[in-house]
Amino acid sequence: MIKLDNVSKTFYLGDEKVSAVKNVSLHIKSQEYVSILGTSGSGKSTLMYLIGLLDQPTNGKVFINSQDVSTLSDNELSVIRGQTIGFVFQSFNLINRFTVLENILLPTRYHKGKLDFDPNKRAEDILNKFGISDRRNFFPNKISGGQQQRVAIARALIMNPKIILADEPTGNLDSKTGDEILDLLESLNKDFKVTVVIVTHDKEVGKRTKRQIYVKDGQIVKKY
Amino acid sequence: MTNTKELSHLVKTALADFKRNKVRTFLTSLGIMVGVMSVCLLIALGLGLKNYIEGQFESMGANLIMILPGSGFTGEGGGGFGGGGTVGGVSFDERDINTLKRISEIDYVVPLFMKGVFVESGAEKKYASIMGVSEDGFKLMNIEAEYGKLFDKSDNQSAAKVAVLGNTMATELFDDPVNAVGKTVRFENLRFKVVGVAKKKGDREQDNGINIPYKATFGSLNPDKTFWAIYLGVKSDDMVTIAKQKAETALLKRYAEEDFAVTEQAELLETVNQIFSIINTVLIAIGSISLFVGGIGIMNIMYATVTERIKEVGIRRAIGATQKDILLQFLTESVLLSLMGGLTGLILAIIIVLIVRFFFPASINLISVVIALVISTGIGIFFGVFPARRAAKLPPIEAIRHD
Repeated sequence: MIKLDNVSKTFYLGDEKVSAVKNVSLHIKSQEYVSILGTSGSGKSTLMYLIGLLDQPTNGKVFINSQDVSTLSDNELSVIRGQTIGFVFQSFNLINRFTVLENILLPTRYHKGKLDFDPNKRAEDILNKFGISDRRNFFPNKISGGQQQRVAIARALIMNPKIILADEPTGNLDSKTGDEILDLLESLNKDFKVTVVIVTHDKEVGKRTKRQIYVKDGQIVKKY
Repeated sequence: MTNTKELSHLVKTALADFKRNKVRTFLTSLGIMVGVMSVCLLIALGLGLKNYIEGQFESMGANLIMILPGSGFTGEGGGGFGGGGTVGGVSFDERDINTLKRISEIDYVVPLFMKGVFVESGAEKKYASIMGVSEDGFKLMNIEAEYGKLFDKSDNQSAAKVAVLGNTMATELFDDPVNAVGKTVRFENLRFKVVGVAKKKGDREQDNGINIPYKATFGSLNPDKTFWAIYLGVKSDDMVTIAKQKAETALLKRYAEEDFAVTEQAELLETVNQIFSIINTVLIAIGSISLFVGGIGIMNIMYATVTERIKEVGIRRAIGATQKDILLQFLTESVLLSLMGGLTGLILAIIIVLIVRFFFPASINLISVVIALVISTGIGIFFGVFPARRAAKLPPIEAIRHD
């Protein structure tokens, strides 16, 4: 599903050269439930953005679904992000001007051509399943953090993606709510057969996944 | 995102944003509003003025030659249809009339004496232009009687104190034009009997005027027995040029070349058209400057909006928006902003024109509406495309990490 082949990412902070990711190779299989663990500045977030096609590697190749994405145009990358990958962020990243339902439906608006599902019906189904259907017409800043993260996951799920990338999904939540969110992500992996990758600094969160990948100084130090 | 459903979504979203930022939206579209309003008004007034003047000329025949004092309409020092005696050059008299009558191509010669006076009838007192003309003047200006009759040759020969009132003037003095016939009007200590009321012409000068036999002006009204202008009716259109030449030659025996001008209707119309196209161009140029400044205002606010929404752009890119999607989103917003200003400007212009219409025949036509819409859409696109491109070209990774 996801394959990184000797991937490096360097950038410059002023005159200083920073190697955020160094020669990383890794393989995440379809329907896996994986965490990428590391401290702040370890390069785990950069790794996630490379996998999520929001960033391009300086060296090496990224494969999504066996497709070498280094050859793709910005337009094609956008289409893969829309159809194959769903993002969940620490700070939820909902658009506050839109209601819960509008936020969830937003990815469907960027789909070119006909959808193979009814977006409104699917959104309703997900809202029901996530227990936030009474919040559908609320604006994100009027609902709790846990509910906002559910909305974000619903938005990530609406296009029926193969991969969900979650960047510190519990970072802004208390531990009880965080656990509920992790339960939800786990059920996506189990029930929806989605490949779930959680990026976190929290070993307790990492323990809940079936496999942990440890990152330190831009390199993978330990794999299980 | 290019189908109508998505466009309507973009529009709906943009409108909701405007609603949230009412003051900012209003201030931003103000420039375009003023610009479009001025362009529309200028076109409306220019068009109205042109129609007004053309209407005045067209109510007379095409085979009309005008002899005016000074160098006439075509050069400096020229007249215009002011009151008599206010323009330079000579004053014409009956000798000129007799000279001109001898030209075989000319059907009739109509002297014109004009004077602004206060006309009284009972308790009513109005300002009006007295026009002393010969009976042929009615033919020349296509005037027909609605009530009573027009004065005739014998009235003129006998200098009868009779008057034919313009339709509006008759209404103002006697409430209903039908009441005017047989009554007396007074001006400058003279009493004239109303023998007829002319049909409404839509020509302000005539509808508000009073026609009297020119010989009846001789005396206290016109002690020198002179005329402000002489109009010639040519027998047919193809004789206009030769008749004009002959009239010139005849008058040159008496007057210097710069003392009078012989002008035909077509020439006059062309000159007026030229003057108005120049005026229109200048006015539109002024409007364009306010539109340009308005456009800069839109560009400015759109840059601010893009900066405010960098994070949002990142989120949208992450969930599948292409550069084109982002471009369209911001472009829709700037076009709508501009279009809203343009429409408001257009509506204001229409309201102003409706008010001005009581005094002046200004008109908003379809062209003004189309121009208003095209200009504001064009400005929205032109000045919106730079900020929108900036948003579209933002690297997704930087946008999503932006706080």
